[in-house]
Order: sequence, then structure tokens, then C-alpha cells
Amino acid sequence: MSTDRPICILIGALGGQGGGLLTDWLVEAAAAAGYPAQSTSIPGVAQRTGATTYYFELYPERDPPVPPVFSLFPDADGLDLMAALEPTEAGRALGRGLITPKTVVITCANRVYSTAEKTQAGDGRADLGGIMEALASRARKVIYFANPPGGASSVNAMMLGAICKAGVLPLGAAEFHCAIEQRAVAVEANLAAFERGLLLAGANQAPVPQKQPAVFAPSPPGFSDRMGELPETLRPLVGHALARMIDYQDRAYAELYLARLERVLDCERAAGGGAPVYTLSQIVASRLAAWMSYEDVPRVAQLKTRAGRMARIRSEVGASPGDPIEVVDYLKPSREEFQDVLPAWLNWIVPKTAKLNRGVPMHVSATSPFGFATLKMLAAMRRVRRTTSRFTHEQAAIESWLGAIIDSAQKDYELACRVAELAIWARGYGKIRARGLLEIDRLTRDWPQRRDRDAAGLKAEVECSLFVARNDPDAACRPTA
Amino acid sequence: MWLLPTPLRAGARGRERSFASEVRRLKLGAGQTFHGETVLAVAKALLQSGVGYLGGYEGAPVSHLMDILSDAYEPLLKPLGIHYESSASEAAAAALLGASIQYPLRGAVTWKSIVGTNVASDALSNLAAAGVTGGALIIVGEDYGEGASVIQERTHAIALKSSIPLIDPRYHMPKVVDLVERAFELSEASHLPVFMTLRIRAAHMTGTFECKDNRAPAFGPDNPMLKPHYDFGRIPLPPSIYEQEQAKFAERLPAARGFIVEHKLNEHFPAIAGSRLGIVTQGGVYGALMRAMHRLGLADAFGKTDISILVLNVVFPLVPEEIGAFLRDKDDVLVVEEGNPPYVEREVAAIAQREGLRCRVRGKDALPMAGEYTTAVMRGGLARWLTQVAPGPVAERVAAHQGAIEEQAALGRKAMGHRVPPRPPGFCTGCPERPVFTALRLLQDEIGPLHLSLDIGCSTFATLPPFNMGNTVLGYGMSLASGGAVGPAMGRPTVAVMGDGGFWHNGVLTGAANARWNRQDAVLIVLENGYASATGQQPVFSTGSNAWGEAVKLSIEATLRAMGVRWIRRVDSYDVDRTLDVLRAAVSRRGRELRVIISDQECMIARQRREKRLKAETERAGKPAFHARFGVDQEVCVGDHACMRLSGCPSLTIKPSADPLKAAPTAYVEEDCVACGLCGANAHAAGLCPSFYKATRWTNPTPWQLLKYRIASGLISLMGAS
Repeated sequence: MSTDRPICILIGALGGQGGGLLTDWLVEAAAAAGYPAQSTSIPGVAQRTGATTYYFELYPERDPPVPPVFSLFPDADGLDLMAALEPTEAGRALGRGLITPKTVVITCANRVYSTAEKTQAGDGRADLGGIMEALASRARKVIYFANPPGGASSVNAMMLGAICKAGVLPLGAAEFHCAIEQRAVAVEANLAAFERGLLLAGANQAPVPQKQPAVFAPSPPGFSDRMGELPETLRPLVGHALARMIDYQDRAYAELYLARLERVLDCERAAGGGAPVYTLSQIVASRLAAWMSYEDVPRVAQLKTRAGRMARIRSEVGASPGDPIEVVDYLKPSREEFQDVLPAWLNWIVPKTAKLNRGVPMHVSATSPFGFATLKMLAAMRRVRRTTSRFTHEQAAIESWLGAIIDSAQKDYELACRVAELAIWARGYGKIRARGLLEIDRLTRDWPQRRDRDAAGLKAEVECSLFVARNDPDAACRPTA
Repeated sequence: MWLLPTPLRAGARGRERSFASEVRRLKLGAGQTFHGETVLAVAKALLQSGVGYLGGYEGAPVSHLMDILSDAYEPLLKPLGIHYESSASEAAAAALLGASIQYPLRGAVTWKSIVGTNVASDALSNLAAAGVTGGALIIVGEDYGEGASVIQERTHAIALKSSIPLIDPRYHMPKVVDLVERAFELSEASHLPVFMTLRIRAAHMTGTFECKDNRAPAFGPDNPMLKPHYDFGRIPLPPSIYEQEQAKFAERLPAARGFIVEHKLNEHFPAIAGSRLGIVTQGGVYGALMRAMHRLGLADAFGKTDISILVLNVVFPLVPEEIGAFLRDKDDVLVVEEGNPPYVEREVAAIAQREGLRCRVRGKDALPMAGEYTTAVMRGGLARWLTQVAPGPVAERVAAHQGAIEEQAALGRKAMGHRVPPRPPGFCTGCPERPVFTALRLLQDEIGPLHLSLDIGCSTFATLPPFNMGNTVLGYGMSLASGGAVGPAMGRPTVAVMGDGGFWHNGVLTGAANARWNRQDAVLIVLENGYASATGQQPVFSTGSNAWGEAVKLSIEATLRAMGVRWIRRVDSYDVDRTLDVLRAAVSRRGRELRVIISDQECMIARQRREKRLKAETERAGKPAFHARFGVDQEVCVGDHACMRLSGCPSLTIKPSADPLKAAPTAYVEEDCVACGLCGANAHAAGLCPSFYKATRWTNPTPWQLLKYRIASGLISLMGAS
């Protein structure tokens, strides 16, 4: 019995990425060269933005006397080539047992995140590094190519180039050129992308790393003495945070930040834990900075009028230097937001109407002189921030949280770190934030007494709260909650 | 903002996939080689068979067959004198076959099975009982296995109970085409309508065959038929019904068996050197079976094997003589039958028993009862069967191959673990159905959970993340009716969601009229996006034109009003605030009457297809045009992703944060944003963060626009903008 067999190619794609056209090109090229081939795809709802596959088989003998029997299914350990237009789709094929040491894997390195990854409140992204390692450990060879920005529409033609380069099929560039011309879809753009794919597959670029190294702003001048006393590992982060505090409010606010952090650090040192990593201070340094620069109306207005924003948006929409653009911001201030820009003793002038409680939907044109001037004015209101009731409220919550951390650090270092994490609740805007601050208040109020009474119970409550914060982010929105 | 004028929405060119260029291949003549997908090949085979009429209802995996016929109507079907209908439902399509009862007219219809067959089965029962004169063929897309979107049942049971021969072809293109042509002859020989089933992956398989000339039908507009024919024997009343039942078993099925044998519709591939082992298989799974045998070292790449194979291209009726002859010299036979219950296996076993053969018949004890028979499943089944029936070197060799393959697969699965997130389908970028579910989520945040019955169509995606909504889905157009008994038991009105496709298919009577008649306290949301979108944007009654572009329109609102439904509101689905207000009013308004909300926005895929073209034309003509998209200020975004939990739009995604103080990635809007406005509307309706903005760029501005812009940008530059 003959041991020869068809060459099998699986294409993994997301609906709308052009996997169908890529398969058509393969079929055309095979037909032009006289090889028996068959392709199939899964029509229907799978193609509405979900993961879908296309499958292609080619028998590597021209015009055989008897037609070979083709299959409609990829089989385990039966793939010669896996072409993924998105890297986790290559991972999916490996997870199905399809990729083995006889498989060449070609994948576009650009991620398209799934809904499951996007909807988590924190970082829910799949472990791309792990997926790539797993692929490399099993496949005959892994070839990556990165799709340049703006090239999304031709990723399929680039893949065709990469498939050609991989040399798994008995077909050359001439046959693929011919197929692209024959199929007559955006021929010039696709031919160009095919050539790019040929080149890039040869270069075999590494996938785009998901975690870029953090870029810290330099520490503002005048803090070098106190910075010098901090552990080395903390300095870049604290320097960045101090710059943030000055940008947010002023120098005194930066000093307040540092003083708060030093309290925790002293405590951590006294407790003997920490060195050289200072986990607790690390967590507090970052959470405290984020919390202290909470986004109120003046802060949002400050960010929206920042130099460079228009230039960034112009490049986003691809505006040439002369092209007019318009930018409209979606704001919905409610009573609390009006109070953000008023001293506490003036709060009474904000009327207590139901409409204002729900918020006033506003479209502010940041490209109109009036809109921009309004935003500028609101940004300037940060000068009265210290006198607002919001400021008082947030600072009290911060102090209560810090108090609980410092108290715990002396007795139970682990618990202190977990309490520090509770600042995750100080997030979002409006209702979400109010509910979060309530939760922190509920847990940290009368901390020393409650800890004396039932340390284990309190610890369990903190864990439970952290679990909810991470896994049920919208708990605050439901009426039953 | 509101529905666009009819001429803009209509048009045969409006569908997701146009087959206008492929239709040329349907004109190929005798001796020419056809190359293409199965659905197109089947359409060609129908034309070669001299059909007089065609019809059907779209649904995967045969949606594209309908699209092909619609695109072929003007250039090809009409000139040939073939009547074509894009049917209102599968029931209407099945009823179309009524033309073949009294008259020698060949016709074919197509739909998605099992669901479409269920809808059609009243007409099918009557058709099979009355019997046909002209050949009647039903091409069903068997939506079974990977990629299916309906409950998993097979058409076989319907074929059995109505005595409709069922062709399950071996997926080799010349064979498929030949069997389509033979199906009409089989139908005429047996006076029974005939099913032909196409599995999911088979419908879009590519292949080649040699064409014949197309044939004009025997009768048509240019060549009108004989006079109407009366024959009480065809009427479903006693005593005809008893005679019809007798005729099925005394005349029609025997005639079918005779035809199957005479024309060798089933194929016998004997073993190379004779064998005591045999396999009886459905034609449709032959490819997977042979690949499995090849991989286990039991066959070569061309299907030559040491085990005899009987390929049943007709799985009902079976021919006892044919089966008996195959079993006679075998010790063991495996029946490969995808789906359940195992009708073929039982009948083969019964034949062996009846004929006193010592051949042992196995099937579902080696292969699984449920699920698709992929190559992997076949390998496992063959290995199990061979250890039972051929212990010794053959079984050992097969087990070694199987073990090696499975070991490699297991190593891959282990290396990957559970790292890859699931990626179910969802609403497209800018889909107008999404905001309705956002509003429903916000409403439930306010007033507590509601019982939500969903329907078939794109809106079923609401049951998937991020919405995870919908308590029941019961069938096409059935959402409103399925909540009928729930509302009273809960003491609060239920909400049903239905697309315009589902409304016209079934929902108008089964849902709306039923609710009005029974005075249900219920809310119905009709998503009027203008098309049957999930299947590829085929026109529905309210689109404005039919499938081949003739202007004809039925109005959802006028129909409901005529039925006496008084509380009807139209909302712009992208206006979440207003939709939420209307929903709140509808749900809180109690009383035994139906409230209907029509969510009115066009399917974004269809709209983009048209607008992109118009915009390009405008730009080329040097006229002012604008391009809008949404964006996110990364510094403002808090990384909580609440916006994505309320949207799930593919173009609203995440990006690593540039700020080391933000651990979570922040929101980011991709370039393919179509500026539907939902992000902005959500920011307002749900009180989300203020990080969203809409940016618009003008090309070819008028001098006045340009002047205004220059002055404004000069002023804001003075204020520090850059």
C-alpha cells in the first residue's frame, strides 16, 4: 500500500479576516499547477467575529490516474501547515492536538483580543508568551510575521506569501501571483502584501510582547534627599508618582504622598519584612499614587486639554495637515461632578433635582473655541480642589486605608499586603466609585478593634472582597447588590 | 438616523456575498469543466435536470445556495422559464413542491435542517402521502457537528416517518452532481419526493466535474401546461389516505428500491484481495472514514483497502437484497452511521437476522452514539472494532498507529493547557442590535432581572459574553410565544426579542397575533435591521425589495396596527438613553396587552457596504466627505473595562497602558470603528468614564468650512491646544 498522502493545511482565523479568500487563492494556485486539491470551510454563525477555520488538502502528484480521497476534517498529528491569522488561534489548534512535530506553524503575531479577555476588570489577557512557548515546543517550526499598523485588511495576502516561503506546498510564487490575479480581488494591494509576507516570513520576527517595560517619568527636582533614603527598587516608581502629584495638584501634594508612603515604609522596615523587595511599599506606592490622582472634573479637563492631544487624534484619524477635524467629548456631569469644582460651603447652590442626580449628558466640542475654553476653565478649577467635599472624602478614605495597612503590618505582614490591594476598589467614576469607596470604608473602619476581636474573620472578609472586586466588577450596578 | 429611503436599502446586490460572477459558471455547456463549491455545483446540477421551479429559505449551510439562485434569477432562471421563489418560510417552500403532485413538473427547494424540515413537515407529510408526478427534490443543509447553530438532530427520522427517500451522497463532486440528477428520476420512478442532505463542511467543499447542457423545463410561461387535473386519490381525506399509506409500502418504496439497484446509486468498493470484514457507511462520511483507514494503515490515499466497503448514497430506503449480498460472505460488518438513533445499523442487523446470516453487525458499540464523525472519531471507532473482530497482527498494527497519533495529540493538548480563551461569535462592529441589549442590561440594573425570551438570528448572540442574557430560545419567531406562561407565573411582564426575519417567518402569527388574542401582558422588541442578517443579509418582507431586486415592501408596524396592537414605539437603537426610557415605560405599563418596540436601524454590514462605496464616489468627485471614528483618551481610562462589558464591540478593545501606575490595559478603539455612536451613548446612559471622544475628519472641505476651521483652530492654539 502506498504511504503517500495529501498535504494538509489548516487556516485559523476570525470571522472577517479574509480566511476564505486566502483559501480560494490556495485552491486556484493548485488548480493552475495541475495538482488535485480540495478546500472546505465552516459557513454560518461561526463567521460572525468568532473563531473559524478553513481546511485545504493538496495531493502532491500532478493529474494522478485515480482521484485521491480527500477529507473535510483536519486530523490530530495530520497537519503539515497551520496558518493562523491571529496567534491564539494557532494555540487553539495545538490545544486540539492538531499541531505536532510534523507541523510548520505560521502565525501573524498581532493579537486580536477575545471578549473574555476584554471584559475582565483588570488584566485578563491570555498568556501569549506561554502559548508561543508551547507552540515552539511542539511544532516543527514556528514562523511569525508582524502585521504593520494599518495592514489589517491584507493580512491574508501576507499569510499567502509566508505560506509560499515556508515551502510546504509544491507551489511557487508565480502560481500564487497567478491565483491572486485570477481571483481579481484588490489585486495590486494583495500582490504587494504577498511580497511583504514573503520577506517577513523569511525574517521571522518575534511576536509583539504583550507587556512593555514600564517607562517612568523622571523624579521632580528637590526630592533627591528623601528619595535617597528609599530602597533602590522603589525609586523609579516613586519618582514617577511624585511627578504625577505635582502635575495633578502641587508640590505640597507630592510631599503628602511621600510622607504617606514613608509611614508605610518605616512600618515595613520596623516589622523586619520587605527587604530587598519591599512588597508592601511597592503596592502602596503604586496604589496610593493612582488613588491620590483620582479623576475628578478638573483632572479630566486637564487631560483633555493637554498639549499634544490634538496631534495624537489627528494621526489617529489619518488627517493630513490641512484637513479640518472635529473632536467631541462625551461628558455626563451629575451633582457630584458639579461639586467637584465648588468649595464644600458652596455645595448648596447645586440644585437637588432628579435630572441632575442622573447626570446631564453633554457633547463638548474640544475643537471649538467655546468648548476648549470651557475645558480649560474646568481644568483651572483644580486650584479649589482642596476645598471640595470630594477631596475631603477621598483623603479620609485614603487615611482609613493607610491606617489599616500600618496597623496590620506590625502583626501580620501578609494581611497588610492584602489590605493594600483593597485600593483596587477606588476605581471608576460616579456610582461605581462611590460603591467602591463604601466597600473600603466598610472593611477598614475601626480596624484595630475589629482585628483584635476576630482577626481570622476580618482576613476572610478582605479576601472575599478582593475576589468580588476582581471577578464581579459590576456588582455595584445591580439592584440586588 | 431613521430608516433610509427604500431604494437605498433595497437591491439584490445588498447581500454579504454576491455570486454574480459565479453565476457565469452555471451557464457552462456539455463537455466544459466546472470548478467551484458544492452549493454552486448543486445549482448547476439542478439546471441540468430541467427543473421548472425552485424555492427555499436561507439558513447555513445552504444560505449561499439561495443567494446563488437569487443572483441567477434574472440572467439565467427567468430566460430558461424557471419559476423561482425566495420563500417566506420552509413551510412555504415545501408547499411549492405541491406543483409536482398533479403535474409532470420537476422542482427543487432548499433549507437548513433539522429546524427547517420541522417547519416544513406538515406540507412534507401531505406531499409524500399524495405522491408526486414530476420529480420533487428537497436539498437540506444538515447543520450537524462543528459550526452548527441549531439543536443537533438529523433529517433521517423525518424521511423515515414520511417515506421520503434520503440521499446522503459521497462528497466527490461528480458523484454529488450525478446524484442530484438521479434524484429527480428516483422521485419520478417512486412517486415520492426525495431528500438530499449536504453536511456543513460539504456545502462549501471545492471540486470539479464535467458539465452537461442546461435544460429548459417541460412547461413554463412560454410553453404553458396542460389543464388543471383533478384526482381525488391525491387528496388527504378518507378513503384516499388509507390507499396512499398502502401505496407507499406496496408500490412507491419498492419502486424506489428497484431504481436504486438498477442505477447503482449505492457503491460497492470490494477489498483488494477479498475479505471477511466489511463496512457499510453513509456516503457523506466516506471521506472521513477513508482518511481514518489511511492513517491507520488500512487504506492508501486513493481508497484501496483490505476491507470491503458498501457506500450507501441512499440511506433510506435500504435495499435488503443489496445489503444481504454484501453481508453474505462477511464474518463482521461495521455500520458507520453518523447521528442517532442508529436506524441503518438496526435495519442492517435485522436483514442479517432475517436472512439467517452469521455475519455479526456492529456500529454504535464501536462508534459514538452522538456527535459528528470526524476523522479522529472514525480512527477510534475502527481501532475498537478491529480489536473486537480481528485480534492479532492487524489489530495490533492499527492500535500502534492509533496510539502514536493520540500520543502526539495528547502532548499538544498538555503543552497548551487552558491558555487559549474561548472565542464565540458575537455582534459585528457597529451592529445595531448590540445597543438594545445594552439598554436591556441597564434596565435590569435598575429594576431587577426580567425573563427574556430570545429568538433565532444574530440576536441569539446576546446569550454569549459579554451580555449573557436570555432565559429561553425556542425556535425561529417563537420568542414571544415561549414566554406566554412565564409572565403570569412571575407576576411581571416578560420581554421577548425578535429579529425582523423571525417576525416575518413565524413571529407575526405565532407571536404577535397569539399574544393579542390571548391578551398577554408582554413586551416584544422587534429588531428591524432590514435583512435576515445572520445568514448573509438576505432581504425580508420589510426590506423594500425582494431577493432579485423588485420593489415590494410589507410594513411591520402597519401589520401590527392592522392586528389591533396599539402600543407601538419606534426607537433609534443607537440612542441608548431613549431606548432605555421606552423599555422602562413598556415594562412598567401593566395590563393585558402587548407592547411592541421596534428598534429601527439597518444592519451595519449592509450599510457599510453601501456607504463605503458612496463615500468613495463622493470623494472622487471632489465633494466634501467626512470620516468619523471614536477614540479613547488612555490617560483618562481607568482600565475597569465597564464599557466593554456593556458592548462587546470587536473594535472596542484593549491596549497595554503607557502609564506604569495602571496595571490593567486601557480601552482602545481600533481603526475599523464605524462611529455607530454606541460608545458615546453608553458613556452617557451608563454614566461611564469620560474618556470617549468622537473624531471627525473632513476631506474636500468647502472654503467656508475651511475658513471656520482655521479660525477655530487658531483660537484654540492660543489657548494651548496642540
